Amino acid sequence: MIIEKERRSTFDVFARIKRGDHLMYIGTVEAENKELAKIYASFTYDEEDWSEMVVVDRDQLVWVRKPDGLFAEKGDES
Amino acid sequence: MSEMQLGVHSFIELLETIADNKYMLGDRLVEIGVSGPNLEATLAAVAMAQGELGHARLLYNWCFDLRGVKGKKAEIRGQTGKAFRGVVNVHNWISLIAALYTVNTAIHIVLQSTLESSHSKVASRIQKLIREQKDHIIYAKNWAKQLRHDQGAVPHRFRESLNGIIDEVYAWLAKVEQNQKLQTEGYLPKNVKLTEKFKEQLKEFNTEHLVHMK
Repeated sequence: MIIEKERRSTFDVFARIKRGDHLMYIGTVEAENKELAKIYASFTYDEEDWSEMVVVDRDQLVWVRKPDGLFAEKGDES
Repeated sequence: MSEMQLGVHSFIELLETIADNKYMLGDRLVEIGVSGPNLEATLAAVAMAQGELGHARLLYNWCFDLRGVKGKKAEIRGQTGKAFRGVVNVHNWISLIAALYTVNTAIHIVLQSTLESSHSKVASRIQKLIREQKDHIIYAKNWAKQLRHDQGAVPHRFRESLNGIIDEVYAWLAKVEQNQKLQTEGYLPKNVKLTEKFKEQLKEFNTEHLVHMK
């Protein structure tokens, strides 16, 4: 069975225990699409009875500041 | 046996068929799902196994209640022999996904129809089960789509597995929708169209067997 690694995206998982609590970053899941990401997140991070949980495709994050990579060379913007 | 008792008997048989399939799906999800293609799919499979086994226990206990069994419920040590052959014979990831998707879709259609029944306690018994089962169907459907578009022999083998189990599930749905006792006693709505809904749900997979089914 060949499930291409390239086809999977990283989704960050955020959750809130009770209403009014801070939205916490609780981890990541890798999934082929957002439907599976939702299922994987709810089954993987079931240690709390979360009142809210969201998954965000990491590619959709809009960076305001991004640190350089540890070994980035001058002028390297990747 | 009175008409009412016959109705209850048919309903118990229906619930036991669902419970047996869920029991076996739970068993297969642990056995096969634990070696899934990636970590997330594996974790979800094992978590869903717990869900399927929990659903089976709930339905078996409901059957005990309908039979008038009082006191402590018997421990469930195995299915009652009504699970589909295609579920019992699941032996790899491909047949697991085909069975999980097909069987849970059919069960969902039947249970949704029982919610429209005239028996008020039905909803409170199965609402949580139906909600949880939706996640299992989404999971299986997404994996079914991936296997259908995979490489090599996988799409062909998946299609074969799907066609194999569809026959059995379709025949069961046809039998249930033709059971007049279930409709007369109000466990299912009159003229319920289970097979039609099943074909509609699986339309996107466009399997040869569904196309030929009348």
